[in-house]
Amino acid sequence: MIEFFIGSLLNGISFGLLLFMLSSGLTLIFGMMGVLNFAHASFYMVGAYVAYQFSAFAGFYPALIISVSIVGFLGAMVERFGLRHVHKHGHMAELLFTFGLAYLTVEMVKMVWGKLPVDYRIPHTLDFTLFNIFGTTVHAYKAFMMLITIIMLISLYMLIKSTRVGIIIQAALSNPVMVGELGHNVPLIFMSIFAIGCAMAGLAGGISGNLFSTEPGMADRLGLIVFVVVIVGGLGSITGALVASILIGIIMNFAAAINYSLADLISFLGIASSKKGILAIKISQTAEVLPFLLMVLILILRPKGLMGTRET
Amino acid sequence: MRSSIITRYKIWIISALIISIWPLFLSDLALSLLSQMGIAVIFALSYNILLGQCGLLSFGHAVFFGLGAYFTIHALRLINIGQLTIPTPLLPLVGAFAGLILGITVGLIGTRRPGATFALITLGINELVHSSALMFIDFFGSETGISAKREGWLGITFGSQLEVYYLIVIWTFICIILIYAFTGTPLGRISNAVRDNPERTGFIGYSPVMVRALIMMVSGFFAGLAGGLYAINWELVTYENVGIMQSAFVLFMVFIGGAGYFFGPIIGAVIVTFITLYLSAFTGAWMLYLGLFFMVMVLFAPSGIAGILMLHKPVWQRKLLRRIILSYIVALFSCFVITLSGIGLIEIIFHWSSTGYTNSVMTVYGIKFDAKGFLPWAITFAGIILGGYFFKKSLSNVKKNWSLVSIELQSKCHDDSSN
Amino acid sequence: MILQIKGLHKSFGKTQVIFGVNLEIEHSECHAIIGPNGAGKSTLFNLISGLYKPSSGNIKLKGEEIVGLSPFEIYRRGLSRSFQVLNIFRNMSVFENIRCALLWQLGYKYSFWQRTNTLKEVQERAEMILNQIGMTNRRDVIAGALSYGEQRRLEIGITIGSGAEIILLDEPTAGLSKPETEEVVKLIHNVTKGKTLLLVEHDMNVVFAISHRISVLVYGQIIATGEPEMIKQNRQVQEAYLGTFNEKAA
Repeated sequence: MIEFFIGSLLNGISFGLLLFMLSSGLTLIFGMMGVLNFAHASFYMVGAYVAYQFSAFAGFYPALIISVSIVGFLGAMVERFGLRHVHKHGHMAELLFTFGLAYLTVEMVKMVWGKLPVDYRIPHTLDFTLFNIFGTTVHAYKAFMMLITIIMLISLYMLIKSTRVGIIIQAALSNPVMVGELGHNVPLIFMSIFAIGCAMAGLAGGISGNLFSTEPGMADRLGLIVFVVVIVGGLGSITGALVASILIGIIMNFAAAINYSLADLISFLGIASSKKGILAIKISQTAEVLPFLLMVLILILRPKGLMGTRET
Repeated sequence: MRSSIITRYKIWIISALIISIWPLFLSDLALSLLSQMGIAVIFALSYNILLGQCGLLSFGHAVFFGLGAYFTIHALRLINIGQLTIPTPLLPLVGAFAGLILGITVGLIGTRRPGATFALITLGINELVHSSALMFIDFFGSETGISAKREGWLGITFGSQLEVYYLIVIWTFICIILIYAFTGTPLGRISNAVRDNPERTGFIGYSPVMVRALIMMVSGFFAGLAGGLYAINWELVTYENVGIMQSAFVLFMVFIGGAGYFFGPIIGAVIVTFITLYLSAFTGAWMLYLGLFFMVMVLFAPSGIAGILMLHKPVWQRKLLRRIILSYIVALFSCFVITLSGIGLIEIIFHWSSTGYTNSVMTVYGIKFDAKGFLPWAITFAGIILGGYFFKKSLSNVKKNWSLVSIELQSKCHDDSSN
Repeated sequence: MILQIKGLHKSFGKTQVIFGVNLEIEHSECHAIIGPNGAGKSTLFNLISGLYKPSSGNIKLKGEEIVGLSPFEIYRRGLSRSFQVLNIFRNMSVFENIRCALLWQLGYKYSFWQRTNTLKEVQERAEMILNQIGMTNRRDVIAGALSYGEQRRLEIGITIGSGAEIILLDEPTAGLSKPETEEVVKLIHNVTKGKTLLLVEHDMNVVFAISHRISVLVYGQIIATGEPEMIKQNRQVQEAYLGTFNEKAA
């Protein structure tokens, strides 16, 4: 019982941190530019595929660095030549552009690498059990993933709060025109923020693609959950994104580990029931759907999200 | 009065006659294509009630369409085993009412926050329905879906595609008329106000949330109706019909056609259905091409094909088209070169990768070659770069001619008003 | 008393903007609210019309409490307002703008079974208002393409469309030239006959020409309320706001 609890908790937190890495980038870009980047998870996917491609001849760690740089560069190009051009057509056009980009990325990945998952593997150097805790094993690679995520997030936090560049970014977040008047190159700042957000997504892809399977559907799968995170946490709030990410990560992992159904619970209580229909659905089967149910609930009870601040 | 109705709607009336009589001479394959177009037209028009009329961008319209289809096919099943009696022509209304109820439900929970948040919500709801499909196997039929047989009515068996086609086409016309009439009702007008300025709409007495919810209800009704026709046409509904691809396709249809005009979605539905059915026979990368087409429209022609046509209407009316047509032909030719080279490049990559990068010998545009060679890449890249260069140059020529034409148009306007 | 405001306070986060406003507006009076920039005049309007919720205090419209109601609920009770920053429907024609403003009050609400073009009452009333604001010959022009002065008149047209009993006009002559201002004042005078008018204005000539009473709002508080002559003589008001005006008049 306690193994189930600890195991699910650890899995939940590590998945939640991954979600946060993606949702914080999304929130940062939204807060900065008012654009909801539907293609955010696409950069995640490209990060995984590029890391896979380079890991074949360069090794895992160099491939990771190459992948992050390439994805960041792609992000900068998308902002410079795509978003900036579409910006003058209005918000709707920006949304449609990022949506189209998401769709295209999936198709292009399918075209180059095929529809089946690719064999992106965990590096041998990290493929062992780190330690045992209360009967659950903690795998070294998962620990590595969590470590990288935490380092990344702390660096980002410190970059924004403590450095000069960070202060300029914070200012541009609330008043880009004024910051431009003060002589800073606001378009460059926007492009950099977008590139950083995408690079983070790419890093997330590079370190988790080998664990969670690298295939064309990964962007949609994770992307949708990231959007739910952003809605549940409240659009524009990074703290909200953190809370929602961990919450959803934990809920999904706990549910996935429960192999019982409502019917089992009822019979456990000593009540006879037909083992059919909705009662026969195992809780573990609902794990994929739970984030969306949570989203609908939040919409009904607390439309602004847990900590919602900014509006479109 | 009589004659002015006929002249105003002459394009519609002529198309109505063509669509009604010509199919008597067409093959079943062509009839199937036209049937799918009819369904797509209703679906796209229902989507534009949300987008063009009320400014609501939804990524989850498949929910109304797919669930409408599911409810209809279950009703048909019940009719098959004799537990229900509904005449086949009225069957789509089952889907329509399912869509109506879903529409008002989603409308009341999801429309409080417009814009990007609403888009995300629709995406989430769509995925909620799509992923629960594998949980509720009795309703969604797991991977194989739910099927039923069309029932006859008053001597018509609905066994042939021609009979199904006429059923669809009659419903399509009814829907076009109803949706068009809806735009002129008070609710239709106020939805335009909500699109333009939701804040001010509150200050003229309307609750923006209520307006949006009602608009979703109407939109859901027609989407569900389209779903019902789909169920009747294919006699099979699978959970892909509530998938996000379905939602993406209707968005493509409406946007490519042009969301700002009533007839835009009709054009878009016809074109996208055609691409989906015919292009898939020629190349495996058709979904990529569809996406690229969409992106090109977003970047360069956000008002859609309808927008482009309407832009040229005054030019055509004043017979000034010959001024710009030459520069257009030059520009379009360079576009053609870019497109051909681009397609070539995509086809090379696609063919090579679909063999797992083992066999690089392929046939594109009827020419056989080896992708490992230098020439195919050189030609395609050269085509794109040169085409791009000439396109840019010809564009300045087009702009020059356009400004001359606009000056003429404005001066002609002045002449008219001063007379 | 058609509108009664008691102890109204409003803070945005830590910043307090309205510090206890008390105001009583009589039926059919034209009451102007004047004061320096940043005094909180537009905020006051936003509080009354339901855009903002007060931090404390109450507002009674025709005896009924309206604090906490949304703008459309307040509108339906007979209060209509215009905006200082033009808030028209830019993509619709002038006629359409006016017509939309009429639909609720004339009872058509969310009807989707009637054709708006055939509703005689609506068409006639829209034509009448179009005439009143002097824009009959511009009825089919898209609102976004109008000149600034015309948009101002349209703004007023939308506000009075419903026939509300109490009208709030927020700087209706902002940015207008002298002759345009005179036209608009005449228009305001005509369309608000018999109605209660609450007016925020900077142009003192307009204020003193049409108001029955004036209230002076300074730093979120009303420092004086009374008839125009009395306000002109008021020491406090002169110091806080009218100083320059008096010098000009002298």
